[in-house]
Amino acid sequence: MRRKQVLSLFMLVLGVAFLVAATTVATAGSATKKAGSTEAAKGGTLKLNESNEDFDYVDPQIAYRTDDWAMLNLTSMPLVGFPEKAGVAGTQLYPIGATAFPTVSKDGKTYTFHIRPGLKFSDGSTVTAAAYQRAFERVLSPKMGSPVGVNIHFETEIVGADKFLAGKASKISGVSAKGQTFTVHLTKPNATFVSQMGMQWFTATKPSTPYSSQGLNTFPSAGPYYISSRDPGRSTVLKRNPNYKGTRPANPDEIVITPNVDPDQSLLQVKSGQADLDIAGVVPTASASLGAQYGVNKSRFYVGPTSCVSYMSMNTLKPPFNNVALRKAANWAIDRPAQVRLLGAYAGKRTDQVLVPGVPGYKPFNVYSLKGANVAKAKEVGGAAIASAPAINFVHTTSQVSTNRAQVAEYNLKQIGFQIKDVPTPSTTFYQVVGSKTTSYNFTSNGGWCADYFDPYDYLNVLFDGRTIQANNNVFYTYFNNAKWNTQIDHAASLSGAARASAYAKLDQELMTQYAPVVPYLVLNDVFFTSSRIHNWIYSAYFGEPYYNALTVG
Amino acid sequence: MTQFLIRRLFWAVFLFFVATIITYLIFWVIPTNPAQLAAGHAASPEFLASIKHRLHLDKPIWFQYYYFVENLVVHGSLGQSFINRESVDRIIGKDAPVTASLVFGGAVLWLSLSIPIGILSALRPRSILDRITMTGVLIGISAHPVWIGLILSFLLGYKLHLTPIAGYCNFFPGAPGAQCEGPVQWAYHLILPWVTFMILFAALYVRLVRASVMETMSEDYVRTARAKGASQRRVMVQHVLRNSLLPVVTILGMDLGLALGGAIFTETIFNLPGLGHEVIQAYGANDLPVITGVVVFSTVCVIVFNLIVDVTYGFLDPRIRPS
Repeated sequence: MRRKQVLSLFMLVLGVAFLVAATTVATAGSATKKAGSTEAAKGGTLKLNESNEDFDYVDPQIAYRTDDWAMLNLTSMPLVGFPEKAGVAGTQLYPIGATAFPTVSKDGKTYTFHIRPGLKFSDGSTVTAAAYQRAFERVLSPKMGSPVGVNIHFETEIVGADKFLAGKASKISGVSAKGQTFTVHLTKPNATFVSQMGMQWFTATKPSTPYSSQGLNTFPSAGPYYISSRDPGRSTVLKRNPNYKGTRPANPDEIVITPNVDPDQSLLQVKSGQADLDIAGVVPTASASLGAQYGVNKSRFYVGPTSCVSYMSMNTLKPPFNNVALRKAANWAIDRPAQVRLLGAYAGKRTDQVLVPGVPGYKPFNVYSLKGANVAKAKEVGGAAIASAPAINFVHTTSQVSTNRAQVAEYNLKQIGFQIKDVPTPSTTFYQVVGSKTTSYNFTSNGGWCADYFDPYDYLNVLFDGRTIQANNNVFYTYFNNAKWNTQIDHAASLSGAARASAYAKLDQELMTQYAPVVPYLVLNDVFFTSSRIHNWIYSAYFGEPYYNALTVG
Repeated sequence: MTQFLIRRLFWAVFLFFVATIITYLIFWVIPTNPAQLAAGHAASPEFLASIKHRLHLDKPIWFQYYYFVENLVVHGSLGQSFINRESVDRIIGKDAPVTASLVFGGAVLWLSLSIPIGILSALRPRSILDRITMTGVLIGISAHPVWIGLILSFLLGYKLHLTPIAGYCNFFPGAPGAQCEGPVQWAYHLILPWVTFMILFAALYVRLVRASVMETMSEDYVRTARAKGASQRRVMVQHVLRNSLLPVVTILGMDLGLALGGAIFTETIFNLPGLGHEVIQAYGANDLPVITGVVVFSTVCVIVFNLIVDVTYGFLDPRIRPS
């Protein structure tokens, strides 16, 4: 062989040798690490993936997504919260930062909490009533950019909050903090106020925490964990709070969350043990095989309900869906099982009502067809109005999932005689299109709601009170406004206990039997798969995720 | 040479403005609502108006472009992410080294493989080696990087446990929250991404080197050198290689510049937090400043690398040295 050929071949072999050497060295290193690691039940590092996304914010007074809240639950010390218990027990609020549920004045407008003594933030500073006052201020301050409190009209609930939001006051006059006593004065009685205090926005916040429209990435926390580092888009690391002395579990030493992972790669990592869990769930195509292999909720493969209901909305301001008969016809026409099948095995449970299991007032009923489209009944209910109806502007976003959902629903509506004009709309403009009162949309297959707090008010009042309709930025797109209904939901909101639950159960059914502004079709499940070293699975239906602080590694 | 460099610099600046105008027009004129995206869809009308004013979206479009360029040139700022309001400069500063790790490491591998294989193939046309090489090239060009990456991570990462399935480690230790760091872990986590990234380019470069060497070997001056008694080694190194590598240099410069804009597929599959991965996330979240920033950065890289290629040409071949 000539010298130049030997040289060329030598270079080739050298390049390959480097590759093999790096693999061997690193494999030996990792094999040694694998062989040497046997971790105790408490302790260890919990390695979580979050496929396709990252937390949008980790600042508790800005974060508003379910996964944000599930993570922030590990760091939070709210006045009241949900215990790390499975099933119905996990949906019952109990005092966490407060010594007990608040005392309420006779007029129902003043709530007084006593803060538990001895609580400390992760930096060693003491938790006092001022910490909760600070949370209220950050939820409503215009210096926070787009304050989240506006989403639940909090500025109208608390005395002086509207002036504070408008920048006309430096403090919220209706909120006072003296030592360990925290008092809130409401503008009117609100039976959901205590439930609202369970939201992550109202966690104890160190009084010196600055306002930030960008959101803080690290801050002192009073819960079992604190965020020790955050690199947006790359990692979020939580460590056990050394100053936490409460009863909530804090099993892993450290929790590392890696976002934006490809979901298929994430599943492989969990299967091989390179990661423990993907908090975004399991790819729908893998659910059936994992369920068959591991069983459901036995080991490694878990399915749990959420507080989320998916529904399709109809614009009740414009023809044809200003006609209640046609809205009911749509409810009979939509094939709910087909919609669930689109999302894969264990995706959820079919429904034709807005309230979900676990919410007080939920009482299952069966008004429309859950077994499939009932074309004959839909035509009967719609009658001649279907044929004379104008073409429906069917708006949906352009993701694969949304497009599939829309195609099936359009087919269902065409089957009973509607004319459809498909309007695919990028998600960048979707909310502008449907959220404006003068919108041209008639029907959208995008839509749904997850509980901010476990109370039927958060569904039936927040979503269907027509008096909250504004020109733009509406959160619900039916534009449904009925005076009788408004009176009824006001009355239900004024009740408490069993009477309240009973009133809302009746309203839930009435909404669909008499008005039908939406087509509910699914109560979502969350599906998870864990590595073999994860144990002590306790699932939260409120967060739609397990309690990560309760998981044990090893 | 100085005149040449000055001329090229002016041309580079002109290209930069053309690219930024096109980028700006594409991303800021399409029917989205940047103010709504920045403010959040539940923003109050007052806050929305203040955001619109802050982003100069209430001004004419030429004014908006002026502010965009002024911000970029005077303050060196590409704005802030709509999603987490992090500085786009900082995002690119964090992500560019990851993409550079992938691109330059992959380039070393693909050149190490493609040049010797291309030469061997050119020296033995239509031999068994040549035919095997060309079949491999066809596969390398045809197979999508996503498919290659998934297959490699499934076989080598999941089944054989030889490499990590995905993830990145910093080369330099000390980053807060890093779960792995140091040169060894950095290289270990990049093995599969390097191999995935380089397969397509190696296939292309094998063909390029083979064709170029074959063409150069048939030149008159090569025949003359042989006739004058030069050894095969001298003929190859002094005459053939130096001339046949010119197209490789040209393409390499362009490929590196383009790839630095983001090796999107490879970074997404292996969860490498580089520019390609960032722009995909930004696209999904409609984070326009980040998308614009990555495009501007890519443009600058292409311009710079083309400039380097032009200068390198002069050193490789005195005939085309600018005078």
